[in-house]
Amino acid sequence: MARFLAWRLAQFPLILAIIYLITFFFVWVAPGSPFGQGERQLNKDAREALEQKFHARSAAQFLEYYPKEVIFHGDFGPSMQYAEWSVNDILKSALPISVALGLFALTIGTLLGVLIGTLAAVYRGGLFDWTSLSIVLIGISIPSFVTAALLLSIFAGALHWFPIGGWGSIRDMILPGIALSLAPMAYIARLTRVSMIDVISSDFVRTARAKGLSRSIVIWKHCLRNAFLPVLSYLGPAAAGTLTGSFVVEKVFSIPGLGQHFVNSIQNRDRTLILGTVMVYSLFLLTFNLLVDIGYALVDPRVDVTAKG
Amino acid sequence: MLRLLVIPLALLILLAGAMAWSGSAAEKRADFTFVSIRDVYTLDTNQMSYLQDFRLAYCIWEGLYSYDGMTLKPIPGVASSCDVSADKRVFTFHLRPEAVWSNGDPVTAHDFAFAWRRMLESPGEYTYLHYYIKGAEPYLQAYQAYLKDPQHTPKPDFKTVGEQVIDDHTFKVTLSDPVTFFFDLMAFPPFFPLNQKSMEPFAKRDPVTGNVTYDGRFTRPGVVGNGPFIMTKWDFKRRVRLAKSPSYWDRANVKSNSIEMVVVEDPLGQFLRYEAGEVDWLPNVPSDVGPELIAQHREDLRLFGGFGSYFLSCMSQPKLHNGQPNPLADMRVRQALAMGFDREPIVKNVTRMGEKPASTYIPPDIFPGFKVEPGFTFDPVRAKKLLAEAGITGNRLPGVSFLVRSSSPVEANTVQSIVNQWKANLGLDIDIELIESKIARQRLNDKDYEIAIADWIGDYPDPSTFTDKYRSNSVNNDSGWVNQEYDSLLDQAQKEADAQKRYALLEKANRMLDVEVPIIPLYYITNQYLFRDNVRGINLSPRNMTMLKGVWVDHDEKLVSGGNG
Repeated sequence: MARFLAWRLAQFPLILAIIYLITFFFVWVAPGSPFGQGERQLNKDAREALEQKFHARSAAQFLEYYPKEVIFHGDFGPSMQYAEWSVNDILKSALPISVALGLFALTIGTLLGVLIGTLAAVYRGGLFDWTSLSIVLIGISIPSFVTAALLLSIFAGALHWFPIGGWGSIRDMILPGIALSLAPMAYIARLTRVSMIDVISSDFVRTARAKGLSRSIVIWKHCLRNAFLPVLSYLGPAAAGTLTGSFVVEKVFSIPGLGQHFVNSIQNRDRTLILGTVMVYSLFLLTFNLLVDIGYALVDPRVDVTAKG
Repeated sequence: MLRLLVIPLALLILLAGAMAWSGSAAEKRADFTFVSIRDVYTLDTNQMSYLQDFRLAYCIWEGLYSYDGMTLKPIPGVASSCDVSADKRVFTFHLRPEAVWSNGDPVTAHDFAFAWRRMLESPGEYTYLHYYIKGAEPYLQAYQAYLKDPQHTPKPDFKTVGEQVIDDHTFKVTLSDPVTFFFDLMAFPPFFPLNQKSMEPFAKRDPVTGNVTYDGRFTRPGVVGNGPFIMTKWDFKRRVRLAKSPSYWDRANVKSNSIEMVVVEDPLGQFLRYEAGEVDWLPNVPSDVGPELIAQHREDLRLFGGFGSYFLSCMSQPKLHNGQPNPLADMRVRQALAMGFDREPIVKNVTRMGEKPASTYIPPDIFPGFKVEPGFTFDPVRAKKLLAEAGITGNRLPGVSFLVRSSSPVEANTVQSIVNQWKANLGLDIDIELIESKIARQRLNDKDYEIAIADWIGDYPDPSTFTDKYRSNSVNNDSGWVNQEYDSLLDQAQKEADAQKRYALLEKANRMLDVEVPIIPLYYITNQYLFRDNVRGINLSPRNMTMLKGVWVDHDEKLVSGGNG
């Protein structure tokens, strides 16, 4: 296990470096400039002064300065659009918010998703199965900007149960958390249902029941553990995606998380911030995929993580 | 079973930790709160160009002059008085001794000289406004040349610039031409002072040239200002909080003890917060709810004319970017396009925020005494005749397409309506090219387009803030329109000290734009505010400029309409 971990961790820097370079390439060839705003054009002198200040005269100048800073100081440099803020400042203020909200959403999504999926599998073909399946289908199909706006208008705007967006307390978290959890919940419910149906009809379940174990013990202990594996592999990328924030949900609830920066930094051609957000996302994705592999081993002792392939 | 519970349990523990890590204590509601549709880009007065940045700059700093909150006329700020020479070229400002920085330092002429010099050495978007000062532009160019090649280029002498510190409280400014609106400029953030001492920890000196640049972080809370407020909090993309400055010389007239700017980017969220009474002022009514509110005759919705217009920028150079001949270079074609569509249905059905159709570049009523004659209006018969005269026979203008920014659905619909009308009225088929806004901006800069929607909002109360854009050498002249007579009229106006004669010259220049239509006027911009009747001190001037110093909420006022705050 330790060797496996060490090997996987050793790959991280190389993968991240490749992602950095590829991202830089796309960022650099994209037309449009990070400097100059709105209808007014920067005159040549002002533009050049800014390019000099941000080490962005040429691709070579950029690559000579920034990667070194990232590696040795963990510093992504100043944001090219918001000169007062360094990319690190932005990540530091936005990431915790997205992580907190994402964890909340993921917790609800996983717990409810597994619960719904299991019950649907157990009462397959029944009323619960059909209704839950329809709801789940709706959950997958309706885009989050619709659900988020609906939740905001109804529960905050009309009923005043929750604050209208913003961030600072647990109450601020509930509506966006629900909006954010719907998609993973729906996927998890479907995944759980399908694999649960598989497991329920397998031989060992019948054996366990024949041995006299109660139905609920068999389902919740024996079946769920096996049925959980596909959910676990979905959770890796889902966690990386959810924890780094959602553009739409953050915008609707005016939550100052990281999700907005993925989109805005690209629109603004904020080269340093694009690189910063992409690197954070990549690191999350790598880490969670690793955690999923470890989780596999915990849930299913037959899985040998050190095996080749 | 227990092991399965580990996962949700771990998630919950992580959740609690993350919440603690990201949370921040809630503060008492500020005396006055308003929504900003985006965060401040920069609070470095030398670099700023956005409305929301300026709005806060007027709170944190003060120039030699300031604006009256209701009339927006320039009134003495740090300067208590000013001697103007007979030829209106030399301004000697006398600084009031009671003006102090928030760190206790007196505000001196040196602080202005420092900030103004920095404007030339690290130029920003509004540096060109400093070119009115004698020797400023040559100094900037010489200095930038020196930075590029310090070995072979001499360092220019700042003494050549007409900015002279006579003593701590006397600042003499010499202009190359008379500038009738110079006091207005003195109240504008690019002319604000900066406290060099407090910026020193953020300074970075180039070892070769000695050039100093400052880390942008000097503008974080704690920034030393000389204005009516001090910044106490700036959460990136969340809020900026201001508190009344205890050291500001005119603090008796600062009406609110605390002000908060809340950043809400989502239109629905902006409106709901206002409706819930969480904020007092919405300076930009979202276009999704605006028409609805107009239909409801909401009394807290304030619609008023803005300080600029929307228009179609037409490439007017003889050749297109790809070398082909440009059909739009013929004035008659542009005039035909201008007369080929009706603006009324556009403002009525597409933009729907009470805009007025435009036939001129400069809105007719924003400069008192400045005459603006009506330009071309909808006239398909005349338009067709002009096209025939110009030799356009087919249903195409070869090489011409319409560039549209994809970021704005209203803009895309507007263009759709124009293009449909051209087809119906003139029989012209013009392609639409939908493109991302940064790329569109770049293509306008490169003059790599034929027709595009653009807008212009003036900066200071003088028509030259509009006419200067279309000088043949202006960086903002996207149309490539070159007219010697126009340039010469502007030059004469710049040298003219008599306000009336000056206006006559600018009127003539402006008329040329409206006749030759390198830009086809579309509609005049409107401003839309939402605020309840108990809010005091917000003016409804076209300039869309608010001096928060005089803004407050009168809680004794009984509300009759609008929201439930």
